[in-house]
Amino acid sequence: MAKKKKVVIDLTRRDVIKMVAATAGSAILAPLLTTGPLSPFGALKQQQLEGGPGAAESGGHGATGENHWGMVINLDLCIGCEYCQRACNATNDVFSDKPWNLVIKDKTTSGHTFFLSRPCLHCQNAPCVEVCPVKATYHREDGLVVMDYGRCIGCRYCEVACPYDARKFNWESRTDENPFIPTWGIPEVERRPRGVVEKCTFCIQRIDMAMSEETEKKLTPGEDREATPACVNICPVNARAFGNLKNPESRVSQVIANNATLRLRDDLGTETSVYYIPPKEGM
Amino acid sequence: MAISELEPKFQLPKPAFLVWMGMLGVGLAIGLYSAIIIFIKGLGITNMSDSVPWGLWITIDLTSIALGAGAFTLSAIVYIFGIKRLQPIIRLAVLVGFAGYTSALLTLVMDIGRPDRFWHPWVFWNVHSVLWEVTMCITIYLTILIAEFAPVIVETKWFDNWPSLRKLAHFLHKLTPYLAALGLVISLLHQSSLGAAYGVIKSRPVWFKPSMPIMFVLSAIASGPAVTAALAYVIEWITRKRNIKHDVLRMITRFSGVALLSYGYIKFWDMAAVTYYGRTSGTMSAFSMLSAETPFNFSFYVGEVLLGILVPAILFLVPRFNRSPAAAVLGALSAMIGIAVHRWNVTVGGLFVPLSYSPGTLYQLPAGSYFPAPIEWGVGILVVCYALTVITLAVKLLPIFEHSEH
Repeated sequence: MAKKKKVVIDLTRRDVIKMVAATAGSAILAPLLTTGPLSPFGALKQQQLEGGPGAAESGGHGATGENHWGMVINLDLCIGCEYCQRACNATNDVFSDKPWNLVIKDKTTSGHTFFLSRPCLHCQNAPCVEVCPVKATYHREDGLVVMDYGRCIGCRYCEVACPYDARKFNWESRTDENPFIPTWGIPEVERRPRGVVEKCTFCIQRIDMAMSEETEKKLTPGEDREATPACVNICPVNARAFGNLKNPESRVSQVIANNATLRLRDDLGTETSVYYIPPKEGM
Repeated sequence: MAISELEPKFQLPKPAFLVWMGMLGVGLAIGLYSAIIIFIKGLGITNMSDSVPWGLWITIDLTSIALGAGAFTLSAIVYIFGIKRLQPIIRLAVLVGFAGYTSALLTLVMDIGRPDRFWHPWVFWNVHSVLWEVTMCITIYLTILIAEFAPVIVETKWFDNWPSLRKLAHFLHKLTPYLAALGLVISLLHQSSLGAAYGVIKSRPVWFKPSMPIMFVLSAIASGPAVTAALAYVIEWITRKRNIKHDVLRMITRFSGVALLSYGYIKFWDMAAVTYYGRTSGTMSAFSMLSAETPFNFSFYVGEVLLGILVPAILFLVPRFNRSPAAAVLGALSAMIGIAVHRWNVTVGGLFVPLSYSPGTLYQLPAGSYFPAPIEWGVGILVVCYALTVITLAVKLLPIFEHSEH
């Protein structure tokens, strides 16, 4: 094989300038293309935020249907009994160490003790939905953020991205005996397998039952107990209200209309479906 | 056997080579054992938890992708910017890239909770997810690397009876400049997106900043080529053959030195400008928590700045050190440590700071804690030994340093 003789080019000043310029140019271009204004994903995202044509076909961004299930939690009424946590653990067969619905003792700036309870907040602008590489977490038309446990690959990116710590990973196969069954309820859903992330669903099985053709849509989530999340039903002081945020007549809309409410980390723009009535002592 | 066919004369390093392969074999055995245990028992036996769900494996994953960056950087320099002098190192760079990227995929398969569903990102697309984009880019880029490397494999005498494959390889070889261009685009995209994967998470004050992708891509461009050059020196020591001219290697380490300095500048700018102008009460309390309760500050200044930037930059750029192969290898090792510490600090540091979502006073949780379990180190050994085995066997069996000009 005859080798062609090649002229060996020495590195000239121009080459060095080229290399440096290319490196600098690439370094500037890459972030612009991925996260910056030139990004093709950026345009999609903008479209989504504005509820444009991209919103519906991308699996829905927030509630696009006639219902938007939401909740309001009155921190002024909550006595920290943890009944909601227990009912949830039983109904959804949740591992007791990693509750979907959490009650935390907290203090206001004036030193007054209050209890913050937190289900999944079902953000309309949900970080977990955005980051999931396989769309195992998605928005339903009724605003719920739900998971397809059969699709989740267990990368835990959603768990890392959730601002509210609402997601838990199944590190092991569940063999534990659930201490809350049957005192606090009977499980209505299967245990999740090892290796997937799980979260609160607003008792989706009850909502879907109420909305299905078989029950002829006679039940209203938030009004009829069979169609309302377990945590809302069990609250002894009625601190929680549930219902359709798009219907101004629903209980939840009424409570929100008649009280000053706030949403957790509203500064992040997550647009949660859960509203809080702060304690009367202030925050 | 294949070894003796290729090299009929037994050479001096043979016993040493056997010892080396034996060591790698032991490492691979330990690693495979750990991997099987993980597959059987699940991730529950690692030290990762719901508050720190990512750890050592993600660090290894990010580090090996960054160190594989020599492939696209040097390919771009040779085929796009036409600096043909560096051509002799291309095959080695592509080999290191291949080893790095396959190591990353290997770690990822171990790290996900459902390895049986590893193919889901290719079927169920979420174009809004940075992680999805990274997965697709890595897949495409690994294909490019294989296409770039295939001609090297087909050149060996095992393929003497397959002229059609040789023709195909020849065709692929002609495509190399186009593959290099595509590889450059794809690599810049995912090397920076790995940083964006952290940078877009608005709930984590340590991560949420626009400089994240820039620092990831720059540090990879800076250290990847130096690692390839250092490997060439090490291979030269072992085989006692000067495969690549030293002035070529010196040029590469000089390039790395300059790139490291620009990375250092961006890092300084990030600390001074981004952290200052972007500071919120969240970021301030996050960093004060990190410096009070974890060795974050020490590892940042010693690991990331001193070992990762200053030491290698001096060893690569000061003329008297630049001429010394030992200094180049030392510098590359130092830069590798710097990359690994940076990826670790980003991942684990960001997760150590607990989330504050309670509307009352800040939700007072202690900083998270995590140190990898022995089983995690076991899998880490598997990945490192896998990469070293691939490189050793390829250098031994394939014409990595025969520079053909078709």
